[in-house]
Amino acid sequence: MEGRPREEQELVLRAQRGDERAYEELVRAHQEIAFRVAYLITRNAADAEEASQDGFVKAWRALGRFRTAEPLRPWLLRIVANESRNRRRSAGRREHLAIRAAASPGEAAPSPEEAAVGSDERRRLLAALDELPDQARLVLACRYLLGLSEDETASALGVRRGTVKSRSARALARLREGYGPRA
Amino acid sequence: MDLERELRAIELAWPDTPELRLELAARARRLPRRPLLVAAALLLAALAAAFAVPQSRGAILRLLHLRGVTIERVAQLPAAEERPLGADLGPIVTGAQARKALRHALSLPPLEPPPLHLEQGVVSLVFADRGEPVLLSELNVGEGVAILKKVVSGSSSVVPVQVEGGTGFWIAGGEHVYVLPGAPPRLAGNVLLWQAHGLTLRLEGRGLTLVHAVELAGLLRTGDADTPGRG
Repeated sequence: MEGRPREEQELVLRAQRGDERAYEELVRAHQEIAFRVAYLITRNAADAEEASQDGFVKAWRALGRFRTAEPLRPWLLRIVANESRNRRRSAGRREHLAIRAAASPGEAAPSPEEAAVGSDERRRLLAALDELPDQARLVLACRYLLGLSEDETASALGVRRGTVKSRSARALARLREGYGPRA
Repeated sequence: MDLERELRAIELAWPDTPELRLELAARARRLPRRPLLVAAALLLAALAAAFAVPQSRGAILRLLHLRGVTIERVAQLPAAEERPLGADLGPIVTGAQARKALRHALSLPPLEPPPLHLEQGVVSLVFADRGEPVLLSELNVGEGVAILKKVVSGSSSVVPVQVEGGTGFWIAGGEHVYVLPGAPPRLAGNVLLWQAHGLTLRLEGRGLTLVHAVELAGLLRTGDADTPGRG
């Protein structure tokens, strides 16, 4: 990740020396994105919380091996995503994501009819995304719903950057089939 | 229809992010590391005492068995040579071939999986950890069938451990020999053997410590449907 604040590097160095407060600051900075990645994988908020907690604790224990020149976020996401996969596997269930499309702030105010159509299309798009196989769903969710970079997505999914590109292309094609043309 | 743009434009109502309370010291105690070390130390002392008594060795050795693996303590090691960890692991196979051979999903390090090798039911891969090669081998066989064999001399320690809730052994120090089917015996580095995720797993590395090997074991994940394997 480019432009990483110097402050984060200093926090990492302090945490590597055993400063728990410094690590807790790092956790606060990354817990939301980590929780959301965990939620996409586990599809369950309670499991995602546990996976995030355990992932951050494991990361704390492994922090001595983290190279401070590297970006922290992909490294953390990889560990939390790994915990999430383990947790989901042991739970052995498949739940639908409970996330829903919210009203889109920041866009020019649509007319009530436009808003209704837009909202309905988002719901359909999310439903089509949710029906995709896990690999396709996760790569698109990481890239487009969470806004992760290709490198971060690769870390979270435990694959190469090139795999993220090819999976994304295939997943988009599949999603296009499932989503279908506009009514 | 620009799906990428439409996906990016969706504002989602995510569940609220909980405030994570790590309580690092308390939670670290609940993770397997500390109980493991205490248990390992106690068992090491017990085993060391037991092995010091020649007539008790037979009884102890019968316990040193994991599904698909036997560990045999001998006075004289068989002839074996030092070879790279990646030698004689068998041909490279795809993830699907490896899974078919194991009849089970693979356990993989949290990295892009390195090439998978298959030799007589044993799936192996070598990955880099802190710049050092580590060999991970996996097998899935029924009770009473031994595929891998470890032969240890009197100077090696064999310590029963619990790894991720499964039974295991840590073999270190002295000289020990690894016998993989279809390959000549090889002098082995420190080894963690354990059962987890429905498989018998083996981690080997010259620089591995028990604590670090257990940490690596905890980071393994079951492979996704098409991630592992190449070629």
